[in-house]
Amino acid sequence: MGGSELVARQHSLNKLTVRERLELLIDPGTWVEFGLLADSMDSAYEGRYLAADGAVTGLGAIDGRRVAVAAYDFTVLAGSMGRVGEQKIQRMRELALRQRIPMIWLLDSAGARIQSQSGSTFAGMGDLFREQVTMSGVVPMVAAILGHCAAGTAYIPGLADFVPMVKGTSSMALGGRHLVKAAVGEDVTEEEMGGSAVHTRVSGCADFEVADDRECLAVVKEYLSFFPSNNREDPPIRPTGDPADRLVPELYGIVPTAPRRAYDIRRVVNAVVDDGRVLWIKPDWAKNIVTGLARIAGRPIGVVANQPMVLGGALDVNAADKAARFVWLCDAFNISLVFLHDVPGFIVGSTVERQGIIRHGAKMLFAVSEATVPKVSVVLRKSYGAGYFVMNGYAYEPDYIVAWPTAEIAVMGPDGAVNIIHRRTLEAVPEEERPQRRLELAEEIRRNIDPFVAAGHALVDDVIDPAETRVAIARGLELARDKQVVRPWRKHGVLPV
Amino acid sequence: MHEIRAEIAANVWQVVVDEGQLIAEGDELVILESMKMEIPVVTEVPGVVRELHVQPDDVVQEGDLIALIDES
Repeated sequence: MGGSELVARQHSLNKLTVRERLELLIDPGTWVEFGLLADSMDSAYEGRYLAADGAVTGLGAIDGRRVAVAAYDFTVLAGSMGRVGEQKIQRMRELALRQRIPMIWLLDSAGARIQSQSGSTFAGMGDLFREQVTMSGVVPMVAAILGHCAAGTAYIPGLADFVPMVKGTSSMALGGRHLVKAAVGEDVTEEEMGGSAVHTRVSGCADFEVADDRECLAVVKEYLSFFPSNNREDPPIRPTGDPADRLVPELYGIVPTAPRRAYDIRRVVNAVVDDGRVLWIKPDWAKNIVTGLARIAGRPIGVVANQPMVLGGALDVNAADKAARFVWLCDAFNISLVFLHDVPGFIVGSTVERQGIIRHGAKMLFAVSEATVPKVSVVLRKSYGAGYFVMNGYAYEPDYIVAWPTAEIAVMGPDGAVNIIHRRTLEAVPEEERPQRRLELAEEIRRNIDPFVAAGHALVDDVIDPAETRVAIARGLELARDKQVVRPWRKHGVLPV
Repeated sequence: MHEIRAEIAANVWQVVVDEGQLIAEGDELVILESMKMEIPVVTEVPGVVRELHVQPDDVVQEGDLIALIDES
């Protein structure tokens, strides 16, 4: 590391050193360091020893499974990316890919070491991002943000699967504070520009906010516990004392039967999954949909559920974006998907059209259609229009789809439908009688929106008692365990983004 | 002063609090109605409701001011 003074400074900033971080992350006695003897070998730093060239790299185990780690050392030239350090990290990427093990970055780096890279040898750089793209969906990639990361070290999380950020001490931005001042004249702090509040609540670039380094490393371990080491393996099963056939009568009290009434869907998810444990992904962004990693009967699942508490659970551009990405993540690593429907549809109107709701909605359709992992859908209450499709409706190959007696599946709600279907009829009625007639006509439509109508047409597999939700999900996942889906060969689809 | 703004174009269905009322984090201020759903507008900060800018049956657009909360 960069000497006792800089180590003390690191601690005074409320940050752990790179060695302390590795000690918390890696199982004792399993760390094998690569390139400990490295130096910058750069004439610009003649006579100066840059320990490990500012990047600690090696292989070690987390909960008994091997991972590759690249950890930037802020006490060595602010963790800047030097030639030798980057070569070491390239070796980690190479080994992670060759051995099919997860790659973890602990980022605390000012970005490129401009002092020695300001010329046009830049023309040959950038391999790190291209290689990350090759690794995507093959091995899990985690980029933990433990300091202020600019430019180079901000794109690493941009291409990683999971990005936790430490509150108050970390940030990421394509341009650091000084560059931003010079380039666009904006005077802004790192925290204001790219702190955890921005990226976990506004931009959606980060997945999880943590209080300090210690919590950050704990959440990295928890995240990886849901994942296989690579896309050819199944995720690890964790034995649980929580029986798969446990009834969940508390759901009667959590979900109001009145379809317009809001409630917190997270309580439903907690009640249903093993031991009530969920690792929420992007919990503070696009809160109208919730995504989380959990287990049922010990097997990891990805839960996608509408959140009636926020925007009535209606889908907007960010919700579609968040869900699509989460579905792609789970599908890539053989994690089964569970969809809990309570969605009035996609938000309509000129605001969302300008935001490109069509292409964002298409992205969610794309991800859900593509997913070949076991998929189970439960329709709790409303599931209207394209909202029903993107939540893995019957036509989207669920392996098991069930509905509560309160389910309402239709192209749209009766109150909206009446204005379209019966517009002429209503116009012909004298104005004072119109509200009454509208109610009667809506009631006629409502009678056909019934889970037993869907079940009568065999378009849901069963209508269940809400208390049986956990049992039904466990059953659906177990039945689909060995499913195989073969799609026509293609290089890749053309992704709506 | 903390601003509470509408997150969605909606009708104002109910105003739950009064001006001058003391509120805690997570309290409902107003219930909007949009997409055939009741959408509670909650405060993320505790304080006193200084100004209410909506009343029942108003129509709000996304971003419209609903209330001002005095955090002190």
